[in-house]
Amino acid sequence: MSGPDPGPLIRLFGLTGGRARPQGEAFDLVAIVTTVSMAAGRADLMREHLAVLTLCRRPCPVADVAAHLRLPLNITRVLLGDLRREGLVTIDRPRPVTQTIDERIYREVLNGLRRL
Amino acid sequence: MGYAASESGATEVASALAIKILIAGGFGVGKTTMVGTISEIRPLHTEELLSDLGIGVDDTTGVERKTTTTVALDFGRITIREGLWLYLFGTPGQDRFWFMWDELALGALGAVVLADTRRLRECFPAVDYFEQRGIPFLVAVNCFDGARRHDPSTVRRALGLGALTPIVLCDVRDRESVKDVLTNLVTYAVKGTFSST
Ligand SMILES: Nc1nc2c(ncn2[C@@H]2O[C@H](COP(=O)(O)OP(=O)(O)O)[C@@H](O)[C@H]2O)c(=O)[nH]1
Ligand SMILES: [Mg+2]
Repeated sequence: MSGPDPGPLIRLFGLTGGRARPQGEAFDLVAIVTTVSMAAGRADLMREHLAVLTLCRRPCPVADVAAHLRLPLNITRVLLGDLRREGLVTIDRPRPVTQTIDERIYREVLNGLRRL
Repeated sequence: MGYAASESGATEVASALAIKILIAGGFGVGKTTMVGTISEIRPLHTEELLSDLGIGVDDTTGVERKTTTTVALDFGRITIREGLWLYLFGTPGQDRFWFMWDELALGALGAVVLADTRRLRECFPAVDYFEQRGIPFLVAVNCFDGARRHDPSTVRRALGLGALTPIVLCDVRDRESVKDVLTNLVTYAVKGTFSST
C-alpha cells in the first residue's frame, strides 16, 4: 500500500482528473461534510463519490472521510469539492475557534479525555 | 448559517464539531508515537499528495506534468461523543513543508510542541511559528529513557518562553501521560478564549 511505487498515485490522480485542488471555496481538513442528497440515478458518479454520500449521511469531518476511503486528504478534498458543486453535500465554513468552543464543549472535551 | 435546506440533518450539522490540535517538534522527537498512543483510528498517516509544490496552483495541467511528492502526515482522532471529535495532526518536519503548516494551523485550537532535551533547538522553529501566529501552545518534554530529566525552568529559559506557556514532562508512549498533555493544552487554550468573550 505504501512505498515509492508510483502506480497508486497515478490511479489517484485519475480519480480527480489530475486535479490537486478542490473547486470552489476552500475548506478545512476538519470541516464537517453532510450529505444533502444520495444522488439516486446518477450513473456518472464514481464508487468513491457514492461512498462519501453514504458515509456523510451522518455529518463527518473531511479527515475522517479520507480515513474511511483510505485516500490521501488532498484527493479526498477534490472529490468532496465535486460533490459540493453538484449540490450533493454541504461542507461547513471554517469558524474561529472562539466561536465554536463554549464552556459546555470545553467541559465535554475535558471529561471525554479523562474517560479515555 | 445557511443549512435550512437540509431537512433532517440541519440540527446535527449545527452541533457537529471537530477540534484540531497540532503536534509539532523536530524529527524523531515522538510526534507519530504520541498520535498513535491516543488515537482510536489505526491508519495513522496518509500519504499526502502535493502536486503543485513551488510551481503555483494550476488545475488544468495534466497528470504527466505534475510534480508528485508524498509526505507522511500523521493524524489521529479522539471521539468525545457523536458529533464532537478531537483531531491530532502531526506537522511534517521538513522545512519544505512549511506551507502545509499554515493550512493545518488555520482554526486550530492549539499546539503541542514536543521537545527532546538533548536537542532542544530543534523545536525553535515550531515555537517561533506558533508565537508569531498567536496560536496557543505548550511545550511537552518527551522524557526518553536515559535522557536527563530536565527542570522545566531550564527548558523555559533555553526556549525563551514566556512565563505563562505551560511546560509539561511526558512519555509519548504512555496513554495517561498523553491525556495529561492534551488536557493541559485544552485548558490553556480555552482559558484565553473565554476571557476574551
Ligand atoms: N525510548 C523511547 N523511545 C521513544 C520515545 N518516544 C519516541 N521514541 C522512539 O523514537 C523514534 C521516533 O519517534 P517518532 O514518533 O517516529 O518521532 P517523529 O519523527 O516525531 O514522528 C521511534 O522509534 C519511537 O519508538 C520515548 O519516550 N522513549
Ligand atoms: Mg513521524
